[in-house]
Amino acid sequence: MIDFPLCRRLGWHQCVATLMSKVEINMTALVLCLDVGFSMSNSATGQEPPFQQAKKVIQKFVQRQVFAENKDELGLVLFGSDNTKNNLAKDDQYQNISVHRHLMIPNFELLEEIQNDVQPGSQQADWLDALVVCMDLLQNETLGKKYERLNIVMLTDLNTPSSPDQLDIIIGNLKRAGITLQFFLPFPVDGGGSNPPHGGKALSREQQQGLEMTKKVMMSLDEEDGLEEVYTFSDAIEKLSVFKRVEKRPMAWPCTLTIGSSLSIKIVGYKAVCEERPRKSWSVVDAQTHQKDDIKRDVVYCLNDDEETEVQKDDTIQGYRYGSDIVPFSKVDQDQMKYKTDGKSFAVLGFTKQSMINRHQFVGTQVLKVFAPKDDEHAGVALSGLIRALDDLKMVAVVRYVYARNGNPQVGAAFPCIKEKYECLVYVQLPFMEDLRQYSFPSLENNKKYTPSEDQLSAVDSLIDSMMLVEEDGEKKDLFKVNHIPNPQYQRLFQCLHHRAVNPSVPLPPMDPWLTTALQRPLAVATRCQAPLETLKKKFPLKEVVKKKELKTSKELFGNSTEEPDAKKAKVDEEEDFNLADITEGSITQVGSVDPARDFRTLIRQKSLPFGEVCQQLTGRIEQLLGNKNMNYYIKCIPCIQTFREQSVQVGNADHYNSYIQSLKTSIPVRGLQEFWDMLVQDALTLINKDEVEGSTFSSHDAKQFLTAGEKKEEVVAAVVDDTGDVDDLLDMM
Amino acid sequence: MAEWNAYYQNEDEYVDRDEFEVDYKCAGRDSLVFLVDASKEMFIRGEDGEPSPFDMTMQCVHSVYTSKIISSDKDLVALVFYGTEQSKNPRNTFEHVYVYHDLDSPGARRVKDVDGLRGENGAQVADETMGSGKTNLVEALWCCSNLYSDVKLRLSYKRLMIFTCRDTPHRGDCERDRQARTKAGDLKETVVPLWHLPGGFDVSLFFCDVVSPPEDESELGLQMEPCGKLEDLRKRVRAKEMKKRSMARLNLCLGEGMNVAVGVYITVRQTKKPNAVKLYRDNNEPVHTKTRLYHTQTGSLLLPSDTKRAQVYAGRQIVMEKDEVDVIKKFSDPGLELIGFKPMERLKLHHHLRSALFIYPEEETVTGSACVFTALLRRCSERNVFALCKYTQIRNSSPRFLALVPQREELDEGQAQIEAPGFHGIFLPYADDIRNLDAPQLPTASDAQVDKMKEIVHKLSFKYRSDAFENPVLQQHYRYLEALALDPMAPEHIEEHIEDHTVPKVKMIDQCLGSLAQEFKDLVFTLASGKLGKEQYTEEAGGAEKKPKVEMSEDELRARVQKGTLQFGVKVTGTKKRELIDTLKAQLAK
Repeated sequence: MIDFPLCRRLGWHQCVATLMSKVEINMTALVLCLDVGFSMSNSATGQEPPFQQAKKVIQKFVQRQVFAENKDELGLVLFGSDNTKNNLAKDDQYQNISVHRHLMIPNFELLEEIQNDVQPGSQQADWLDALVVCMDLLQNETLGKKYERLNIVMLTDLNTPSSPDQLDIIIGNLKRAGITLQFFLPFPVDGGGSNPPHGGKALSREQQQGLEMTKKVMMSLDEEDGLEEVYTFSDAIEKLSVFKRVEKRPMAWPCTLTIGSSLSIKIVGYKAVCEERPRKSWSVVDAQTHQKDDIKRDVVYCLNDDEETEVQKDDTIQGYRYGSDIVPFSKVDQDQMKYKTDGKSFAVLGFTKQSMINRHQFVGTQVLKVFAPKDDEHAGVALSGLIRALDDLKMVAVVRYVYARNGNPQVGAAFPCIKEKYECLVYVQLPFMEDLRQYSFPSLENNKKYTPSEDQLSAVDSLIDSMMLVEEDGEKKDLFKVNHIPNPQYQRLFQCLHHRAVNPSVPLPPMDPWLTTALQRPLAVATRCQAPLETLKKKFPLKEVVKKKELKTSKELFGNSTEEPDAKKAKVDEEEDFNLADITEGSITQVGSVDPARDFRTLIRQKSLPFGEVCQQLTGRIEQLLGNKNMNYYIKCIPCIQTFREQSVQVGNADHYNSYIQSLKTSIPVRGLQEFWDMLVQDALTLINKDEVEGSTFSSHDAKQFLTAGEKKEEVVAAVVDDTGDVDDLLDMM
Repeated sequence: MAEWNAYYQNEDEYVDRDEFEVDYKCAGRDSLVFLVDASKEMFIRGEDGEPSPFDMTMQCVHSVYTSKIISSDKDLVALVFYGTEQSKNPRNTFEHVYVYHDLDSPGARRVKDVDGLRGENGAQVADETMGSGKTNLVEALWCCSNLYSDVKLRLSYKRLMIFTCRDTPHRGDCERDRQARTKAGDLKETVVPLWHLPGGFDVSLFFCDVVSPPEDESELGLQMEPCGKLEDLRKRVRAKEMKKRSMARLNLCLGEGMNVAVGVYITVRQTKKPNAVKLYRDNNEPVHTKTRLYHTQTGSLLLPSDTKRAQVYAGRQIVMEKDEVDVIKKFSDPGLELIGFKPMERLKLHHHLRSALFIYPEEETVTGSACVFTALLRRCSERNVFALCKYTQIRNSSPRFLALVPQREELDEGQAQIEAPGFHGIFLPYADDIRNLDAPQLPTASDAQVDKMKEIVHKLSFKYRSDAFENPVLQQHYRYLEALALDPMAPEHIEEHIEDHTVPKVKMIDQCLGSLAQEFKDLVFTLASGKLGKEQYTEEAGGAEKKPKVEMSEDELRARVQKGTLQFGVKVTGTKKRELIDTLKAQLAK
C-alpha cells in the first residue's frame, strides 16, 4: 500500500502527520439566512432600509467568496418571503421560508440572482424557524463530506414575534452539530437600554425580545466572546474583516535555531506580515473575440545600431556587466560562480542591544514569527528561555537566515515578543552594506532660516493636539487603524470585476462611498483640527516657487560659471544642447535615430548634404519608427513630420514633403496606421499649399480637403486589403 | 521629475515596473574626480604601523570603484595625481599632474590598477610611474575641469574630492595660493567637498578657501574637521560620493490649502544581483529586445487598441479595456495626506512590509516648507508621536499608509552626520497583509533557565552596525566577474577570497560559551520530563533536516486528521505530496 520511498523512510504515522501540515483541509459550509420580511423595508426617513443594507452585506460577502476562489460552499435561505420552499414545511409549519440556493460553491450566477431576484417580501416569518431550516439544510447537505466549519449567518431586524420555547433545544442542536452563528442586525447589540439607538427609533417589543434571545443563543455558544459575533449592518459593510477571514493557511517553515554547534532549538517559522498580492493578473485578449489564444507575443532581438538589425535568439549569449566591462558567461561559469548554501538556517551570529537596530533600516518584504513546534515542550521551554532573556535584557539575536538550500542568505534580527497568549521571536531582515545609501542632508534645526519661533511651535502643538487619533485619556480608542482597513486596491478591483461580470456592457461604477470615507481623516478629527489648521496657515506662510526649470537644469547640467557674460553663456548652452544626446558621434553627418528631427534641422542648416538626400534620410527614419506600431513611436514621429514641414516651407521646397505625405496617406489603411494618421489630422499636418511655398501644386483648400477626405475612403480600403504592408513598398513609391 | 516617472510608469503595459526605480536616464550621469596628492609626505607611514595617507586613499578609491560597479555602474570616475614628477594629461599641457584614469565608468582593469597602488608594492609602483615632484594645485584643478568638459556625455552631478596631508601645498607661495583659490572659485559650481588626511591639518591655512561652500550654510563646519582614520574617511567618501536623488517630489498636505513640498528619498534598498544581458555572439555587443503582438490567425501586428484585458473568476471571463484597468487603480493624486498623529508606541515593530522612505523638505519648490517641516519634526520628536499619512506615489497607484517617524539630526564626534534630519516613512500593513497564526500552547521557561540563557546572551553580545555585513552573494558575483573580465580563463579559486560574515563563527561561539550551552540544556531537560527525544538537543548544528520523532496513536491521528490540526516539520518534496495525500485518504478510509 505505502510503497514509495519517503513513506518507508519516515514511517506511516509521520507521513500522515506531514501531510496534515501541508494539505489544507479547511472547507467551510455556510448558510446566509436573510430576512426579507416587510418590516425590513421600513426605515427612519433618510435612512437606507435594513433590507437594502443587508442585501449589500450579502453581496459583498458573496463577492469576496467568489474572488477568493476557494472550495467553501454557500447556501442562501430567505425568510418572510412570499413563497415557501423548504424540507420542513408542513401544514402551517415553517411557512414563508424559502431555500433560495442549496449548498454549493458561490459563483456569479448567485450574485446575479441576489442582485435581480432577491427582493423584499410582504410576509413575515419567525427567525428561529428560519434558523432551524438552515440547520436542517447544513445537516442534510454536508452528510458524508468533511468540513472544518459549519456556519450560519443570520441577517434580520428581529422584528417578528418568536416562540422562545424551542430555544434550548435549538441551542443544544447547534452545539452538537458544531454549528457557529453570526448575527447581523440594523442596531448594535449593546446599544439598547434607555437611550434609543438606530436613528432615534426605539426598538419594538418584538425586537427587544428577539435581542434577548439572540444574546442567549450567542452566550450559550460561546460564553466569553459570543456577543462579539453580533454585528451591525453598517459595521459589516465598512469592515469586511468582521467576516471570518478567508485566507490561505500559513505555510510552516520548520528549522533549527542554532547557537554555536552545541545548542540547537527546533523552531517553526510563519509569515506573519507580508504584502498580500492579488492572486490573478490580467491577461491580454483580442479586443474582438476576447480570446487569449488569438494573441501571440513575439520577442525579437536587435543590435543597438541605427537600423536595429534583428538577430536570431540562437545567436545571442549571456553576459553580465562589470562596470564598463561586459563579461560573457557560459552556463558552467554561472553554476560555478553561484553562491552556495548548505540548506536552511536560522543561526545566531550574536546578540546586540535592540537600540542598535534601526527600525527604518528594515529590509525585505515580510516579517516572520518563530515558535517552537507544537507538542515539543522542550523546544518550547528552550525558546521561551531565549525570548525572555532577550526581552529582559532589551536585546535581539542577529541571525543568518537561509530559506532553503541554495537560497540567498540574509542577516536579520530576531526580536523577543511576549504576548498574553503566546511567546515568539519576530524576525525581520536587516540591510547589507550594499543596500545602504548614506546620504547626508543639510541640517534643519541648526539653520537660522528654518528655525521656528515659539509661536509657530505652539501652533504645531495645537495641530498635533487636535489631530491625535488615539485619545490619551480613558479607553485609548484608536480612531484610525490601518491594519483594520482592507486593501482598497482590491476592494475597488473586486467591485469593478463584480460589476463588469454581472453587467458586461455598462461603464464601471464610481468608488464605493464607504471606501472613500475609510481612507480619509476621521470626521471627528477633521472637524476638531479646523481652527488649529487656520492658525497654522497664518503662522507659516507658504509660497510656491515659480521658476524657469530649464534654466536651472541647464545650469546644473553644464555647470557653467555664472561669472561668464550672458551672451557667451547662451552660446555655450546652445552648443551643449546639440551635443547632448550625441553620445556616439561627435558631429552630425546623417539623420540618426535618437532625435531625427533635430539632426534633420542641423543638416539642413549645415547644407553639407543635398536637401533631397536629407529628406530621404528623415523619411527613412520615420518609416522605421512607424514600423513599430506603438504609440510611443508615433509620438516620436510627429515632431519629425512637423520639422519636415517647417523646414520645407523655410527652404521653399514643398515637393519632397508633399509627395511623402501623399504616399503616406495612401499606405495608412494597408499598414494599419489609422491611429497615427489621426494624430497628423489633429496636428493639422497637411500638404504644403501654394500660399506657403510657391512651387506647391495645391491650394489651401486642397490641403484642407486632403486630411478630411481620406477618412471616409480608408474604411473601404481597409476592408478589402488585409495585409500588414511593408516599409519597402512605401519607400519604393517615393 | 515626478511627472517623468509617472509617464514611464505607464509606458510598459505588460510588466509592473519596480515602483522605486529612479529614472537615471533623464537625469544624466554622476561624475567623481579623485584628486590625490602624490608628494613624498603622502607615503610616510603612521606611527603605529598605520598605513600611509596614500595607501589609505587608494583603499578608499578602490572601495568607491567597486561599490560604483555594484550600485551605479554608469557613473564616471577619474583618478588624478598632483605633485608628481611625471606628467600625463590629455594634451600634456599641465606639469606635475598625472591623470591615472580619465573620466569613465570603472571596469575590471581600473579596479586592478588601483589595487596595484595599495600597500608597500603600491608605493613603489607609484614612485616608478609618477614619482613625487613639485606641487601646483592650480594646474591640477585646471586639468580636472578639462576632464569634465572633455566628456561627451551628459553629466548631472559633478564632484571633486581632494586627498592630501599637507595643509600648505605651496609652502607659503602666496601667488600660487591665490591662483589656486581663483581656479577653485571658477570650479565652484562643480567642485564640491574636500577630504584631507591626518596629522594636525590646519584647514584655515589654505584649504578652507578652496573648498566650495557647502550646499547650505548650515553645513559649514560639519565636514571641515580633518579625519585621520581610514574607516571615517571611507564613510565620508561614501556619504558624499553619491548624489541624493529624490524618487518623487510631492506635497505633504497638512490640511486644505496647507501644502508642504517634500522630496521622497530611498536610503535603504535591497541591492540585487543584476540581470544578465543578452549579447550578440559574433561581437559580444549587447542586444535589446522588442516585443510585438501578433494575431494568431491572421498573423497581423496588433495595436494596443486591438487588445483588451481579462481575468477569469468562477468560470466567467471578465473583460476590461486597458484604460479601465489603469483607472481602477486611481484613488487620489500623488501626494502625502496627513490623517493625524499617534503616540510612538502605537507603531508596531512587526508592521513591516517594505523598506522605509525618507522625507525631507523641498524649500526650492515651496518657500516656507522647511520651516513648517522643522517645526513638525521637532514637536513630533519631542512629544514622541508619529504622523499617519496616506501616500500615493504616482498617478494610478493605489494608496498606502505611512507612519512618518521623526528623525532629528545626529552627529558624531567629528561633526559628521550619522542621521540626517527628516521623517522616516514606514509602510503600514492593511488588514489583508496580516496573517492569522495559531500560536502553539507551550510551557514557558523558568527563571533559572532564563538566567542561564542571559549568561549565554551576554557572552555573545556585540555591537551591531548596519554596514558591517557585506552581501556574500553580490560580493562573490562581482569577484568572479572581475576575475573573468581580467582573465577569461577564469581562475577557479576565487571563493577563498571572500570573507562571508553571515556565516556564524561556530568555533569561536563554542569557545565563548564553554560549558554554558550544556548547563542550559541540562536545565531544560531536568525540569521537563525528558521522555521525548533528548537527542535533538545534542544534535550537531545544522540538524534542521533531521526528522523529528513523533509517536501518536491511530485514533489520535484520525481525530487530528479530521480537525486538520496536525503540524510537524518534515521536509516533503512537492511531487510526492499528491501521492501522500492519496495514501493517507486510502488508509483512513479503512
